[in-house]
Amino acid sequence: MSGSAVSARYARGVLIATGLLWVVAVFGGMAALSHYATTPGESRESPARWPKDSALHPTPGRAQLVMLAHPRCPCTRASLGELEQVLAKAGGRAEAHVLFLRPEGLEKEWEKGELWQRAASIPGVTVREDVGGVEARRLGATTSGHVLLFDSEGLLRFSGGITSSRGHAGDNTGRATLEALLSQPEFVAEGRHPVYGCALEGPDERLAVGALP
Amino acid sequence: MSPSPSPSPSPTMEHVAGEQLEERAARLYSRHLEGVWRRVDRLFARLMLGQWLFAIAISLFFSPYAWEGKAREVHVHVYAALFLGGALSAFPIALVWLRPGTALTRHVVAISQLLWSALLIHLTGGRIETHFHIFGSLAFLAFYRDWPVLLTASAMVVADHYLRGLYWPESVYGTLSPESWRLLEHFFWVVFIDLVLLFSCRGALREMREMAERRAVAELASEREQQKTRELDRALTELRDAQEHLIRVEKLAAVGQLAAGVGHELRNPLAAVRNAHAYLSKRISRLEEVTTDPRVPQFLSLMDRELNTCGRIISDLLDFARESPMSVQPCPLRPLVDEAVGVVPSREGVRVLNEVPEDLPVPLLDREQFRQVLINLVQNAVEAMPAERGGEVRVRAEGGDTTPLRVRVEDNGSGIPEDVLPRIFEPLFTTKSRGTGLGLAIVATRVQRHGGTLHVTSEAGRGSEFLIQLPPSVAAQAA
Repeated sequence: MSGSAVSARYARGVLIATGLLWVVAVFGGMAALSHYATTPGESRESPARWPKDSALHPTPGRAQLVMLAHPRCPCTRASLGELEQVLAKAGGRAEAHVLFLRPEGLEKEWEKGELWQRAASIPGVTVREDVGGVEARRLGATTSGHVLLFDSEGLLRFSGGITSSRGHAGDNTGRATLEALLSQPEFVAEGRHPVYGCALEGPDERLAVGALP
Repeated sequence: MSPSPSPSPSPTMEHVAGEQLEERAARLYSRHLEGVWRRVDRLFARLMLGQWLFAIAISLFFSPYAWEGKAREVHVHVYAALFLGGALSAFPIALVWLRPGTALTRHVVAISQLLWSALLIHLTGGRIETHFHIFGSLAFLAFYRDWPVLLTASAMVVADHYLRGLYWPESVYGTLSPESWRLLEHFFWVVFIDLVLLFSCRGALREMREMAERRAVAELASEREQQKTRELDRALTELRDAQEHLIRVEKLAAVGQLAAGVGHELRNPLAAVRNAHAYLSKRISRLEEVTTDPRVPQFLSLMDRELNTCGRIISDLLDFARESPMSVQPCPLRPLVDEAVGVVPSREGVRVLNEVPEDLPVPLLDREQFRQVLINLVQNAVEAMPAERGGEVRVRAEGGDTTPLRVRVEDNGSGIPEDVLPRIFEPLFTTKSRGTGLGLAIVATRVQRHGGTLHVTSEAGRGSEFLIQLPPSVAAQAA
């Protein structure tokens, strides 16, 4: 066999090996990315009724819609977009609040960034800070973008996320359920949906709170 | 009698020409198509690089960090853009560099490009606008004009949707339990755009094929023309050689004829010289009579004159017979005319005027040959004056540099008779009793060798004008 034929076979072998490696790398990478995007945040049990010690003071007899959000979480951009659509269809059937986390020890105004402005621009939304994540803990929210709906009786009707995956805009079951609950109060549904987003609590805080259920 | 049919190529020749045309068209088509593939490969290599940089930029801008309370770490999107995007772009770019224009490169580019769509959709949070990247990519891939590439790309879209629908249906369809036809709906739109692009590819390929056929016809015609031109050039060269050969033969014949003429012409002056010599020999034997006999100086003068005549005949003969090589150089004309006028024997009552402007652009001439031209023309003009009256000979010049240079030698002598005028440049033709008939033939040859032309106009009793016209290349101002 001539030298050129050997080197051609060698080059072909290298090409095939590189190609296979590439296929494994890119398809593996895409699969890992998809897995990351569709892995929900940790969840904790939410109270079945509106917590009386809540810092929010709801108007009696009105449904309450609360979103707990991390002010710097890029995934929450999509959650706010979905919330805007939900409220546009809800037609004022609920009082809407977006509570932005300000972890302990951070300076004031830390939470007032792009997402704060975005939430404040949604008609009918009251935006507040949640210093130290007190309200989030009270409402059992651990992941940014967590939405809770309490009906006019103060009963929990929905708890979960309103995006299909991390930071992914578009139709999803969570948003559809929430819209249905708001437009038809008699609608009976599994009022849960995974929440995709950044963790509201840091690793140390999670340890302090204790093991999650 | 009916006209005979014009000759037509035999069926075999037609068949061969048709095969040649087909083969040429196929080669041109294939070369063009490969050029297209390589060009689009390079385009995609640049696009891959651009997409990578774009992905890094949007991940850094929109999702730089993932947060856990107040702790932050670099977001997975940044790593995905950097490493997954880098891998997506690197392999196709390497193939474009190492194996441009191959099917493997095109298909890898197609796979990579559609995976780029998926990655960008991820990085931009599933924005509906980013989904247009899929259709844009398919259109871009259609630049290859290679339908299997579109099939590979479309298969990637379908496989991606199918697998996502299987494992993460909500991220594709917005619901956890999509209807089975939802995949078909997505698939339908991809097939639709594919059909449009396939139709466009087919049209482009047909145009390329037609273009190749037209170009093949043109190339073959051009080659045939070039072949004809080469044959014509060869025929012209042969003709020129034959002409030169003929001229040489004619010249040899003329020289032979001239030799006879020279023999005849030399006989009389030599007889005169012999008689004079015989006489002088006798007288010299009686030295005392040499100083007293008046015929001694008369015969010496006769010998001198006749020997000069013999010399001129031989000189003209040699000038005509020899073709010395040209040696052109910048040669100011006015001093050359002065020199020529100085050589020509003066005649009483005949004035020779050099009216060549001093600022005339300096032409490129063979000095010696052109000097002889001027001498012959001026001498002819001087000799054209009737014996009973004087006259004027004027040498003038105009033009030069980028325009032709015109040199005129005019006289107001007796003119040239109409029946003589057409023959004056013929060798050995003369109307003079002691001429050789070579002077004007030499002038004509030398002017021609300078690339110029010689014209003569004459009017009986009023004089003649010889006009030399030299082309701009000769007339160009010498550096």
